Amino acid sequence: MASIKLRGDTSGEITIQAPAVAGTTTLNLPATSSTLATTAQTEAVYNSLGVRNLIINGDMRIDQRNAGASVTANDQTFVVDRFKFRARLTSKMTAEQVTDVPTGQGFQYSTKITSSSAYTIVSNDYFNFQQILEGQNISHLMFGTSDAKTVTLSFWVKSSLTGNFAVALNNYQASTRAYPAEYTINTADTWEKKTITIQGDTSGTWDTDNTAALGIIFSLGYGSDHEGTKNSWNSTDTNSFSGSVNLLETNGATLYITGVQLEVGDTATEFEHRPYDMELQRCFRYYWQGDGTNYATQYSNGAFIICDLPTHMRVRPTTSYNSTNATGSFADYSRTNRFQLYDNTDPTYNVNTPKADAEL
Amino acid sequence: MYKLVNDPINGGLADCIKRNADNALIPMVNGNRDYQEYLEWIAEGNTPEEAE
Repeated sequence: MASIKLRGDTSGEITIQAPAVAGTTTLNLPATSSTLATTAQTEAVYNSLGVRNLIINGDMRIDQRNAGASVTANDQTFVVDRFKFRARLTSKMTAEQVTDVPTGQGFQYSTKITSSSAYTIVSNDYFNFQQILEGQNISHLMFGTSDAKTVTLSFWVKSSLTGNFAVALNNYQASTRAYPAEYTINTADTWEKKTITIQGDTSGTWDTDNTAALGIIFSLGYGSDHEGTKNSWNSTDTNSFSGSVNLLETNGATLYITGVQLEVGDTATEFEHRPYDMELQRCFRYYWQGDGTNYATQYSNGAFIICDLPTHMRVRPTTSYNSTNATGSFADYSRTNRFQLYDNTDPTYNVNTPKADAEL
Repeated sequence: MYKLVNDPINGGLADCIKRNADNALIPMVNGNRDYQEYLEWIAEGNTPEEAE
């Protein structure tokens, strides 16, 4: 394999190497003085051409379920769209969409999490705020292979507490790989931007289908059973590390988060402010609810509801609804792109706010 | 906690389960996380109520 080496004035050198293939390949250099792009620069340009933020609703602006109302953040409780809580115990915290945001960044909303007590964390505890990414949206990261891409997580955060906090990436469904990263909140009650670059994981099983593949896990309180080596890939489901701040151990402690972005490369670019309709449509893949009008069509023997969903949901959804008189005798015939319930017992049913849930 | 659901169109049981807490209808498909929770509940030795 032929190559040319150019030695610099000091100890450095550059090797230009011909490919080990037959035939002639021509590389045209610029006609004027110029500089070749680094891999990071090329990735930054590539990212700017498409949807570079892998997080959906990272600016916390879409809140279909709660419309800004405060919720008790129990296990599997969603606050804004696509962001939910896991909690070993109930009633340890509340959460809500609020308008407290860092200035000059273009955000309108953040999520505020408030500790409800001074709870002493025990070894098997887990409390976190998270978003799970679908495998089909992370396959290009090539995690679990030797070609795994470096990714950069960035977000804005504000807390009444200071110190070293944990945020982790993990292979959510398999729960065999986790990277608990450390970030430091330096000043209480002050917005700070945090950036964490993580070498892609070359091990483990990372799903690339429509299931729960990559978790972004903000720790709110973890016991020692779930602590691993920080800033490193662990072969266990350890989403925190020893000595990190547990928000739930301080009554009234607050944590605000917005501008969450995960992107390919080793550089945190400016937050990608996507059009509202685009972001809402992406949320619909995981959750949709209609308005408060009556969706039921009544006939002689019963009632049915049929409406097209705005996009194909991730999987056939769980369906529910609000009603003042429907007692729940419907059967479900929904599909990923259609909400469809049928009843043959009561022609007077009035059903509003249909809900389709295909979340991870 | 859960109840089986009749299929009023085709007869027999529908391919969904009712969650009594909120009357939600959970499809019997593996990718649905509510169905996974139902399967875990069954694995703990529980039995759903019969369909009405």
